[in-house]
Amino acid sequence: MKTLSSLKVLVVEDEALVSMLVEDMLTDLGCAIVGPAAEIEEALKLAGSADIDAALLDVNLGGRPIFPVADALKARGVPFAFASGYGEAGLTEDHKGATVLQKPFREADLRRVLESLVSQTA
Amino acid sequence: MAKLAETGIRDEGEDVLRARLIEAETALADEIRKSDSLARVTEAVASCGDVDTCVQVVIDGAREISGAAFGAFFYNVVDPDGGSYTLYRLSGAEREAFVGFPMPRKTDVFAPTFDGTGVVRSDDITRDPRYGRNIPRRGMPEGHLPVRSYLAIPVASRQGEVLGGLFFGHPEPGKFTVRDETLLVGLGAQVAATIESIKLNTGAVTELNQRRRAEDRLKFALDSGRMGSWDLDVATKAYEASDLCKVNYGRRPDETFTFADLIATIHPEDRPRILTAIEAAIRDGVDYDVEYRVVHPNGDLRWLHARGRAAQTADDGGVRRLAGVSLDITERKRAEERQKLLVNELNHRVKNSLATVQSIAAQTLRSVAAPEFFRDAFETRLIALSQTHDLLTRESWAGASLREVFDVELHAIAGEDRVRFDYPADVRLNPKAAVALGMGIHELATNAVKYGALSTPDGRVAVTWSFEDGVLRLTWTESGGPPVTPPARRGFGARLLERGLSAELSGGVELTYDTTGLICQMALPLRALEP
Repeated sequence: MKTLSSLKVLVVEDEALVSMLVEDMLTDLGCAIVGPAAEIEEALKLAGSADIDAALLDVNLGGRPIFPVADALKARGVPFAFASGYGEAGLTEDHKGATVLQKPFREADLRRVLESLVSQTA
Repeated sequence: MAKLAETGIRDEGEDVLRARLIEAETALADEIRKSDSLARVTEAVASCGDVDTCVQVVIDGAREISGAAFGAFFYNVVDPDGGSYTLYRLSGAEREAFVGFPMPRKTDVFAPTFDGTGVVRSDDITRDPRYGRNIPRRGMPEGHLPVRSYLAIPVASRQGEVLGGLFFGHPEPGKFTVRDETLLVGLGAQVAATIESIKLNTGAVTELNQRRRAEDRLKFALDSGRMGSWDLDVATKAYEASDLCKVNYGRRPDETFTFADLIATIHPEDRPRILTAIEAAIRDGVDYDVEYRVVHPNGDLRWLHARGRAAQTADDGGVRRLAGVSLDITERKRAEERQKLLVNELNHRVKNSLATVQSIAAQTLRSVAAPEFFRDAFETRLIALSQTHDLLTRESWAGASLREVFDVELHAIAGEDRVRFDYPADVRLNPKAAVALGMGIHELATNAVKYGALSTPDGRVAVTWSFEDGVLRLTWTESGGPPVTPPARRGFGARLLERGLSAELSGGVELTYDTTGLICQMALPLRALEP
């Protein structure tokens, strides 16, 4: 199993306070933060070209669904998890079965999800 | 004639003969008159459309035939006490002649007529042994029409039901003959037949009208409920649809609409389920109760609710006809959809709020110098968040204005009197921006109260904003407070403003620790702020 240390994680989250919390958690886990992106355009840009190992995606970015970003990551083979207040109910058919972190979540939940994402690509 | 006048005997015999002849001629004329009257009355009775007219024609005619001074018909209306003739028609007397009297009771004189047991004919009713035996009146009440000759005929249906009675009277005795009785009994039978047929007819018309009214009511109920009705012949698949039923399937009322059309209109994804339900209703006679989508010929997608059941059973025990109603439930379905979305959205917001609170708690804990300061710092931030929520709830989460957000946060620290505003126009904020700015303003305000301009009696804050190329440029300037130095460690507030707020609102936030006081400058694109 890959260690989470120095893992480059793209964070897409449009709420400042939640974003700050996730950044703190990732920092505690030893990860490097890419972003955070609060807008879909920026998120798409980072998902398409940035050097990233995994991504944590808020499902709803100011009323716009995150799925194009998820598709871009899928195309690149970058593992990702959704973070959502909707739980799995907020996902489209294409993404049913994807990893979902139900908000609010603990640092331990985030670690477990990241470890599972990394092991998929290992 | 001369010959006849020759002998006295002959004369005498002739006189008698003449008298007899005249008598016979009179009797014959009388009989002819009666027969004519009878024929006329019979014809009139047959053509009567209602019972009252028929009865009137009969008593008028019967009086003419019998020479009665008065005639009356009493309808047999049975009351719970055993029968009383209440309603009546008169001939040869004014209605006033009876108004003062109670209705006749079933006395010995009247009983045969009431009960339909037989005719009562009397040359002088006042001498009849049945007369005058009932107290209190013992006979006709005072002021009654003078009746001596009396003839009463029951009018009964073929089933024996007494419909009423014909009564005739004359002030002189011995007026009614056996012949009169025979004729009037015949007339009575005719009256009975006519009344019965009129009643039957009226009954049929009434029933027809009732059915028509019931059908109208049903149609009204169906129409006002936008309900279509339909009827399917199971064997022939002949399908009858009401106008509204056709409309439910996107057809005009004058268009033909077959069972095959109906099946073709059902959304392909729902079609197999509906066909199965129809089969089950036909095979097992179970209720048909389904909701499905239909695609109108013009492409409109609508939701229908159809209910039906076996309307007729076939000889083999199966269903011969399936009938029911259909209702367009598109609006209800949309409302359900909206409600589901709203509940999901609410859940999402609650979960996000919990995540926000979690973040506030975690970061407050990180930034406080000692755990004992945690509670106060955490609670004031939680209340700041809650106040922005209250503000948004007042406007159903449609948004809030920037000035309103400032006001609630400044009011919380009792600092509104020491903050001066200057701006060209207020800004509408979307809920997300309102929550983020509310938190940011709270951090600026509490920092000013603790360490900045609002920590001294003379300190002031100036808030100004303007618009430039779609960007809100806002400046918070503190003055008159203690000298300011940049903090050794960046706290929660500074981080939220400089990193969080700028990222969330796609803008820039800069804090300047000027010696005269803290300055916070924000450049936020309006597209990220406005609803």
